[in-house]
Amino acid sequence: MTRFFDSDVFYAFRTSPVAICSLVVTVLLVLSAVFAPLIATTNPFDPASLNLMNGFTPPMEPNAFTGERFWLGTDDQGRDVYSTILYGLRISLFVGISAVLLAMVIGIFLGLLSGYVGGWTETIIMRAADVQLTFPSILVAMLIFGVAKGVTPVEYRDQMAIWVLILAIGLSDWVQFARVVRGATLVEKSKDYVAAARLIGRSPLAIMIRHILPNVLSPVLVIATISLALAIIAEATLSFLGVGAPATQPSLGTLIRIGQGFLFSGEWWILAFPACTLLVLALAVNLLGDWLRDALNPRLR
Amino acid sequence: MFRLSAAFAIALALPVSAKDFSFAVTTDPQTMDPHAVNSAPVLGFLNNVYEGLVRRGKDMSIEPSLATSWSPIGNGEGWRFVLRQGVTFQDGSAFDADDVIFSYERASSEEADTSSWFAPVSKVIKVDNFTVDIMTSAPNPIFPDSIANWMIMDSGWAAANNAERPDKERGNFATLNANGTGPFQIASRQPDLATELKPHAGWWDKVEHNLSRVKMTPIQNSATALAALLSGDVDFINPVPIQDAQRLQGNPDVKVIQGIEARVIMLGFDQQPGAAESGQGASDMFLDARARAAVAQAVNVPAILQTIMRGNAEVASQLVSPAMRGYSNAQSAPYAFDPDAARALAADAGLTGQTISFKCPNDRYLNDEAVCQAITGMLAQAGMDVSLDAMPVSNYWPELRADNFDMYLLGWSPGTFDAEHPIRFLGSTPNAEKRLGSWNFGAYSNARIDALLPMIQSEIDDTARQRMLDEVAKIMQDEVAYVPLYVQPLVWGARSNIQVTQRPDNFFILRWVTVN
Repeated sequence: MTRFFDSDVFYAFRTSPVAICSLVVTVLLVLSAVFAPLIATTNPFDPASLNLMNGFTPPMEPNAFTGERFWLGTDDQGRDVYSTILYGLRISLFVGISAVLLAMVIGIFLGLLSGYVGGWTETIIMRAADVQLTFPSILVAMLIFGVAKGVTPVEYRDQMAIWVLILAIGLSDWVQFARVVRGATLVEKSKDYVAAARLIGRSPLAIMIRHILPNVLSPVLVIATISLALAIIAEATLSFLGVGAPATQPSLGTLIRIGQGFLFSGEWWILAFPACTLLVLALAVNLLGDWLRDALNPRLR
Repeated sequence: MFRLSAAFAIALALPVSAKDFSFAVTTDPQTMDPHAVNSAPVLGFLNNVYEGLVRRGKDMSIEPSLATSWSPIGNGEGWRFVLRQGVTFQDGSAFDADDVIFSYERASSEEADTSSWFAPVSKVIKVDNFTVDIMTSAPNPIFPDSIANWMIMDSGWAAANNAERPDKERGNFATLNANGTGPFQIASRQPDLATELKPHAGWWDKVEHNLSRVKMTPIQNSATALAALLSGDVDFINPVPIQDAQRLQGNPDVKVIQGIEARVIMLGFDQQPGAAESGQGASDMFLDARARAAVAQAVNVPAILQTIMRGNAEVASQLVSPAMRGYSNAQSAPYAFDPDAARALAADAGLTGQTISFKCPNDRYLNDEAVCQAITGMLAQAGMDVSLDAMPVSNYWPELRADNFDMYLLGWSPGTFDAEHPIRFLGSTPNAEKRLGSWNFGAYSNARIDALLPMIQSEIDDTARQRMLDEVAKIMQDEVAYVPLYVQPLVWGARSNIQVTQRPDNFFILRWVTVN
């Protein structure tokens, strides 16, 4: 621990107000997502708890029929916008983090493999990555989502929707990781410690995971943070297009999609609050990623 | 959205004469062939280009069009139509009885989507060049009312262009081109982009409109269409998003034309014993009428109308609205909202603990997905577990035809404006051979209704006919065949210098449009 507090990275963090701010905001948002059931006033995912007559209540004002007040208002179904944002944040963060983890695992594995083994393996993996890069990742995610939705039985679609989203975003995002890890592996491979490990007869798998992997992790960390922001936005985009989280369990993107229909009629709060939350979340994570990249890059210091 | 408006703004900057008129629709008519697809967007649009033997006036009554008069033959063996002389098609060729015979053969052929309209017809006989006899297998007093959308196509034109039969799948010449006798002809057609119309100079009737050029643009997103109307890029849109109607009324540049559509929105149920072939969704939970009654009592329709429909719709009690002929006054009470009774009924019928697979379109009816979500919540409050699956209409009908549902949302607008129409399509046991029950996805079946339907169709005495219609309405209500929810509102928007006529079938008729 002392080692961490004494490190250059922590010093850079302490002296950067942007980094401190974005970390605080991110941690706050993550905490409120984790403890959503405790701090939310209602459970918006329980359809039995909704009262349709509460629909379209403006923020801070009493509803015309029921007299109930909601401090961020309600949407068309009478869902409390504040609680729905907290639960939606949960889905957005969960999907984002899981998708990045999935992309990271796939990307690191394929990157290490192609960098260390080389030859045909490398060619095939890297050309596949190139081909995938030519498609916009949102398109790849939609394709995977469509196929996965087609093969899931209809009763499980709602429960599976979140997992399918994670799969779709994760699979569309592994290329960045694979390319970076491959590059770093190529550099590390020719170093003496790898030759030493080979000499004492360690298996290639052990060399890749025990020896090379720890040395290529710092760029992965940077990409992971930036990818997290992108994955959260990708989830919101998919849900906005109506192919993501189901309307009965809205994520931030679904909420924005619902709210978009009521912009002209003056019910701005259905769109504005979820959109602001998404903006703040994506911005904070992105700034954090940017700062991390600078802090870990010795050439920029 | 912005790019689209920008494109419109550029188009608007060009000089336009006062009689140009442009309008936006949600769904582009998928074909120009009047016999290939039986759907409201296609038939509504083609009513401006093609004409039938009869047509509907501003009040929906039947009036002469290509036929000047008609009368029953003998004791109801059929109907004799006397055709209008001196009518020309848009390519200049003359209209006569051969075109009627040809159009009958084309529209009733196996390839046509309109063949069920001709189920009661046994044969069509050409008496002379301007007289046609349409024979029916049983007396059919409402037959002339049922063919207002049967459009007449030129036999010579179809033969010359190899379009003698409609082709739904691959399309043919008539899919992109049209040659009718109607007041407007197609000047250019780019599917899903724009369709331009110009007046048919040789039209037989008195011209009421003052349009010299008409442009139809499909705009799928209703908020985008609204933005186009507000900025003056289009002169007319249908529909106006219901949540925006009130605010628009305060805008002096545009006006909102509101009415009640003939369409009743309802819930249907899978009532077929045994699992469907696909093994999805379909279980036997709604075979029990108590289960269906539980749903009927759990749904708070007034609350849906108050919030989602913003007070713009009326509660429905049966499959037709009060404006239709044959509406049953005796059965005008809708199901009462009673969540406690619904909870008890659902438990009795064994619904509790099962997941109801609820299918819903999300681009077909006004606020359809929001209504389905609200229903999901209301059923949950009465102890029923619902899994809602909302999808675009292009996936929706195949899903219903494949039986992948326990419960579904359907809107029905009777094309004949008569209570007999939904009985034929939704109430009778499905029977492909007799062309009956073709939209009865849940296979609701009642022997008495099946027996009453032919009697209703051939009954000439109005009181006796109404008695039978009342009986059918009562059976369907008692057995909860469907749960009628509400009559859908019509909300059209136009620039304030535009005069239009709104009909409850939601057809936009260009010959009644004037630009001031």
